[in-house]
Amino acid sequence: MSRTVLQDGFSAYLDAWEARIGSFLEKDAETIAGSAVLGADREPGYASDSTKGVLRGLPFGVKDNIAVKDMRLSCGSRLLDGFRSPYSATAVARLAAVGAMPAGKTNMDEFGMGSSTDNSAFMRTNNPWDVERVAGGSSGGSAAAVAAGLVPFALGSDTGGSVRQPANFCGVVGLKPTYGAVSRFGLVAYASSLETIGVLADSVARARTVFAAMRGADPLDQTSFDAPADAPSLLPLGGKPAEPRAIGVLSPSAVAKALASTLSGQAGPAGNGGPDEAAREASAAAMLEPEVALGFEAAKEGLRALGHRLVDVELPSLKYGVPAYYTIATAEASANLARFDGIRYGNRPAYAENPDGLIDGARGSGFGDEVKLRILLGTFVLRSGFQDRYYLRAQRIRTGIRLDFNRVLAGVDAVLMPVFPTRAFGRGERGLSPFAQKAADLFTCCANLAGLPALAFPTGVEGGLPVGVQLVGKAFGEGLLLDVAEGYEAAHPIARPAGYRAFWG
Amino acid sequence: MMKYQSFIGLEVHIHLLTKSKAFCSCRAAFGDEPNSNVCPVCMGYPGVLPALNGEAMRMGAVVARALNCTLSPKTWFERKQYFYPDMPKNYQISQFASPLGVDGWVDIPAGGGGPASSAAGTATKRIRIKECHLEEDAGKMIHAGNVSLVDYNRAGTSLLEIVTEPDFETGAEAECYVQQLRRTVRYLGVCDGNMEEGSLRCDANVSVNLRGQGLGSKVEIKNLNSSRFVRLGLDYEIERQVALVEKGGMVRQETRLWNENRDQTETMRVKESSNDYRFFPEPDLPPFSADAGFISSVEAGLVELPFDRERRVGSEFGLSREQVTIVCEERAFADYFEAAVAEAERLGMDKKVAAERVAIWMTGELKRVMNRDGLGAADVGALKVTGARLAAIVALVASGRISGKIARQLFDAALVEEAEPADIVAARGWELVVDPARIAAAVEEAIAAEPSAFSGAAAATAGGDVGKARTLSAFLVGKAIGASGGKAEPGLVKAAVEARVTAAATAL
Repeated sequence: MSRTVLQDGFSAYLDAWEARIGSFLEKDAETIAGSAVLGADREPGYASDSTKGVLRGLPFGVKDNIAVKDMRLSCGSRLLDGFRSPYSATAVARLAAVGAMPAGKTNMDEFGMGSSTDNSAFMRTNNPWDVERVAGGSSGGSAAAVAAGLVPFALGSDTGGSVRQPANFCGVVGLKPTYGAVSRFGLVAYASSLETIGVLADSVARARTVFAAMRGADPLDQTSFDAPADAPSLLPLGGKPAEPRAIGVLSPSAVAKALASTLSGQAGPAGNGGPDEAAREASAAAMLEPEVALGFEAAKEGLRALGHRLVDVELPSLKYGVPAYYTIATAEASANLARFDGIRYGNRPAYAENPDGLIDGARGSGFGDEVKLRILLGTFVLRSGFQDRYYLRAQRIRTGIRLDFNRVLAGVDAVLMPVFPTRAFGRGERGLSPFAQKAADLFTCCANLAGLPALAFPTGVEGGLPVGVQLVGKAFGEGLLLDVAEGYEAAHPIARPAGYRAFWG
Repeated sequence: MMKYQSFIGLEVHIHLLTKSKAFCSCRAAFGDEPNSNVCPVCMGYPGVLPALNGEAMRMGAVVARALNCTLSPKTWFERKQYFYPDMPKNYQISQFASPLGVDGWVDIPAGGGGPASSAAGTATKRIRIKECHLEEDAGKMIHAGNVSLVDYNRAGTSLLEIVTEPDFETGAEAECYVQQLRRTVRYLGVCDGNMEEGSLRCDANVSVNLRGQGLGSKVEIKNLNSSRFVRLGLDYEIERQVALVEKGGMVRQETRLWNENRDQTETMRVKESSNDYRFFPEPDLPPFSADAGFISSVEAGLVELPFDRERRVGSEFGLSREQVTIVCEERAFADYFEAAVAEAERLGMDKKVAAERVAIWMTGELKRVMNRDGLGAADVGALKVTGARLAAIVALVASGRISGKIARQLFDAALVEEAEPADIVAARGWELVVDPARIAAAVEEAIAAEPSAFSGAAAATAGGDVGKARTLSAFLVGKAIGASGGKAEPGLVKAAVEARVTAAATAL
């Protein structure tokens, strides 16, 4: 079967939606990326999963930090405005190899740093459910484009929730695969040890086929792996009910309480916010807003009704997740973003007295404030003599979180968690402070710290906005998570925003 | 000088002879068009990842083992962070916490001295090797007028850094170590050792202090791009530091450059605070665990090292120290020698005699021809005269089948013809005539042609004028050889002439 992007009325549909939401930084439905990624021939990972052909002719959006040959690769940054990639990411090449077509580059928070996509240097992306609200981030463009039906799926990257949170905000499926399951070659690095390329899709089944096509070891990414032989199958359910599973439920209120327990009792400098004030704010930011809590309870009921067994579980180390996450992420970012110096590519001042001046000028004018903040933080935590206090301590917390998950997942098949404490937030007064946005990464960032797969899927609509949950599973257990979510979707079809038309079958 | 003690530690960087770069598949080659051997990976483009070249790990481990280091069962890489325009990622992938090899040693001749003194019986000094670690090189920045240009061909090529403890005391010792290390890595086939082109680079740390007081204030010296400069630079620096301390001054901790035009070290930069490289583990590369296959490939790469080979060749073959030095200069040259001797033995020659003859050929005629043709000792394998063919020439001479003069003609012919020496001799009819009848005929021909010389020789012999008799006999021998077309075996001709002269003298 062959499809074309230019179906009846689609052009007008695309233009009308784009005028309202602004999800693409570049659209080119005619472009079909060459499959050549630096000359290497690769076996796509779908062979054993009977999904061959399903993706043929489908266009997809690609977050603008994932390389598509000859397309822009700006990462939402002024520094890389105008830069075109000389090669394609392995994930893109594998999708192209089964006939899918990269159709454009989607907006994002600069270098993936943000939860709203408002940190893009180029434009805002609005939520298709309410254009006054953000699409989430950092893969906001991909989420909005899929939610509006402009593409059936899009690639994103998930460093601490950047696929799942915008998927949750826009009411689409967001899969963050196991660390190493999908090659990172061609993904512009923010925090290398945490991030993966992920899928935002209009259905669970679609997310499954996309993941199946792009996963698998890649010689160009030595941290990538094939799934072990005993990993859950990626075969589609094909209308059959999902096998009943034991699902651990992480109680959000218990998490908020645990966070409050990190109060040190020490007052900070007067009027300047101390550790306790920060802990209090973090605890408050992790409290679910009522609509999200309502949606979470409804999802539990829905899963029970499908025959799954729900048990309460605890992850004691989770309360340290956000500080550990930001310590590791910014440390790696400070090195990963060092290459953007304007010398070999990217924008730079027309004239500089010396190389240092050139680098200063390029970075000073090329990077946005949030990026500069995180580079500074990362540089700070890696200073010689301070690594034990920050970076190495964060790594120990990371190990603790991994062990917590291992312990819990020894007893259950998956852990059910909220994705984000709020639905899509607004801007200005109705927005979240930058600090609160970071603190709210609590539920998503732990899967990245543990390297585990996590699947966010919509479960309903509360107060006019989508709500959903996520399932975190064992390493290479994507198939099991997808089965549970696909069963849920069969019983509770995904709601679409007003004006949505289904073009993609 | 005995009042003071000097401490020198060396950091030697060698370019490994891997076909491709350390973390991408670009060609690792020098002298190509600027920026022709580059790709998105070694140019630090957005989104690319390094992929470790296993051959670089193997070669690095071979060097580490040859320097008696313990191989780390598990190693990983760190990012060493600093901004410099010739470094594409603005961090260098290097090893910090888990070097490939640690705690090794090498022996050098005590007091330094040339490699010639490393033969058997010389006292040695042990130099501790702190570590060997693998890293990537940077590009090259060229300043031209008011622009700066960068060539990234070298960026990402494999470097092995070999760090010693501060165990050297003199420039001569350091020079000797560098020369020995250079020969070692060439023997191992992992580096061409070319210091002028920067394939082997040496930085030194040096300090002086009152004897027994431990390390002094450390100065780093760069730009020591020949082993001679290593010696000159360090001796200069030790003298400078001692003079400073003698005057009651303090040695400033700094980096100095060797100025080869002025024969002195000069301040490059003063270290006010040490650089903070913010090392952290490279998340893009998984830790490397040496498995059995890797270990055996490393062991297979180990060869007898120059120092050991010199000792063995000296004692096993009875060569002179000078011959040993030349024969063992390069592994290929020493292999050539041993192959030639073994073949000569197989052809029936005594081992010591064969070794002596082969060594004379190699240090004389062979060297001369290779120098003439611009070939180094390592290129000996390119010659048509293989070790076995040289052995055949030596054996032909030893068995009296050709003369020494013919042997040189034969050697010259064998240099250009792809043929066995015996076949060349046969084809050209160069074999000496030993048949007594033919020798006698030649002698008679000479006597007939020079009757006065013959009678003069007989008379001189009878009269006891030994000098005149010898001169005239030698003249007749030359004539007889000439009469045979130069092919009569000189010893036999000489005996035949002398017999005829003696007979004639007796008859007088």
